[in-house]
Amino acid sequence: MQHVAHLDETAIEVANLSHIYAGAQGTVPALEEISMRVGSGRFTVIVGPSGCGKTSLLMMLAGLRAQSQGTILCHGRPISDPDPKRVGVIFQEASLYPWLSALDNIEFPLSLRGARERETRQQRRARAEAMLRLVGLEGFGERFPYELSGGMKQRVSIARGLVQDPPVLLMDEPFAALDEQTRMTMGHELLRIWSTMLKTVVFITHSLTEAVYLADEVLVMSARPGRIIDRIAVNLPRPRTYEMMATDVFGQLRDRIWQQIRKTP
Amino acid sequence: MKILLARLALLALVLAAWELMPRHEIVNPLLLPPLSDVLAMLGELLQRPQVHLAIGVTAAEVAVAFLIAVPLGAALGVLIAENEYLGEVFKPVLFYVFSIPKSIFLPMFILVFGITFAQKVAYAAFTTTFVVMLSASAAVESVKQDYLLVARSYGATRMQILLRVYVPSMMPLLLEALRISMIFNFTAVMIAEMYASRAGIGHLIAGWGENFQMRQLFAGIIVLATVAILFNETVRYFEARCSTWRT
Ligand SMILES: Nc1ncnc2c1ncn2[C@@H]1O[C@H](COP(=O)(O)OP(=O)(O)OP(=O)(O)O)[C@@H](O)[C@H]1O
Ligand SMILES: [Mg+2]
Repeated sequence: MQHVAHLDETAIEVANLSHIYAGAQGTVPALEEISMRVGSGRFTVIVGPSGCGKTSLLMMLAGLRAQSQGTILCHGRPISDPDPKRVGVIFQEASLYPWLSALDNIEFPLSLRGARERETRQQRRARAEAMLRLVGLEGFGERFPYELSGGMKQRVSIARGLVQDPPVLLMDEPFAALDEQTRMTMGHELLRIWSTMLKTVVFITHSLTEAVYLADEVLVMSARPGRIIDRIAVNLPRPRTYEMMATDVFGQLRDRIWQQIRKTP
Repeated sequence: MKILLARLALLALVLAAWELMPRHEIVNPLLLPPLSDVLAMLGELLQRPQVHLAIGVTAAEVAVAFLIAVPLGAALGVLIAENEYLGEVFKPVLFYVFSIPKSIFLPMFILVFGITFAQKVAYAAFTTTFVVMLSASAAVESVKQDYLLVARSYGATRMQILLRVYVPSMMPLLLEALRISMIFNFTAVMIAEMYASRAGIGHLIAGWGENFQMRQLFAGIIVLATVAILFNETVRYFEARCSTWRT
């Protein structure tokens, strides 16, 4: 079941993608001529000013929204509808279902296809439990979302995104609602999980520190209509440590991203 | 525990006052007969076939009207919430009509249906449908977009989204709607019966009132209040069980 990543393989390929929203007050050009390639198993972070179209782009990568123009290939095949076997999505708000326990939330994606596929209830349960352990929440499975802290909820949400074992994980500001400390821990945890599972990750954030800390490559987008104006390779060694944040290299990378974002009006 | 004791004390106080104030003529016992007299009358009334019949008629009217209004109102409510065009067109009209006291339409129902079982049911269903419709459309709109997005991203079918996201997500509001619409429904049946009818508890109560039979009147009120409170509390029990679903 484990997807084996080959670093030279292309996981996501976006070519000349543009998007225009048609609203009641005229049209909004949201994305313009986006082209990008994400290598399999790579951790790519997208940053850019608010409203530049990051979420829109992610929705399209997930097949949740159709682009006006351009193509998206995921492992060689076009994405047009949500395909949970290829792409898992983790949203900003943990968006857990309040009527389900943590474990049932994690199992939710499996239960949807349960009717269609031969997997027993016990096997599904076991998978969900393994994910719960992976995100460090063993023993909290029976809790309901209102009984969990913000960080724990986001862990459950990550477990839910991983439970179908998709090769690609899309994350839209997953830690934005968390406090600084929890956010740092969660970033660290995410890297730990990522390194054991060899997923391709596309991660959106507003935090420059988080971007440099997590990424293999940072894509910087311009203000609306969003274009990709810079690609910055982060060649810091892995595993990343908190100490790296104090180094000159880290500071220079963060500064370069900031200069790029600042340039955009 | 303390609160429970305080509540019981309050209840005891009210009941004691009801018993003692008329007995000592602090209030006119002709207007408010003592509780024990009322209860004795209640026991007696519950033996009478005529009362059984009235209870049966009222219960049937309430039940049939409710069974018509709830599915109808829920379907219409979902429709105006889900269909943007219908929503834009009908919602203002619905709010206007909702603000009018429905009892002014009662004479029209009598003209159309006569003084019949169908008239009571139609009038109550008419009143209740509005309440259910507005609550149901509010319930649909209360479902967070994120919940739908999550389900879609995991490849849920339309049916799965309906049953596994919409229904549980709307459940707290739906139960509340059920409870409140029953209050409207019951009220409508009572008004219709008291206004003009030949059967039903409302008819009996109206008659007792006119004839100044206060013991019978209060006994009738006790029966109605008990039934209404029982229904309300049953639904509230289920509501409390999913209170943590609200976000
Ligand atoms: N469904 C929609 N209809 C019309 N316009 C939209 C829609 N969704 C987004 N937009 C517009 O498209 C632009 C990009 O929105 P998007 O949410 O993708 O930005 P973002 O980069 O994720 O912003 P943020 O950093 O604040 O989350 C915004 O100007 C927004 O108003
Ligand atoms: Mg966004």
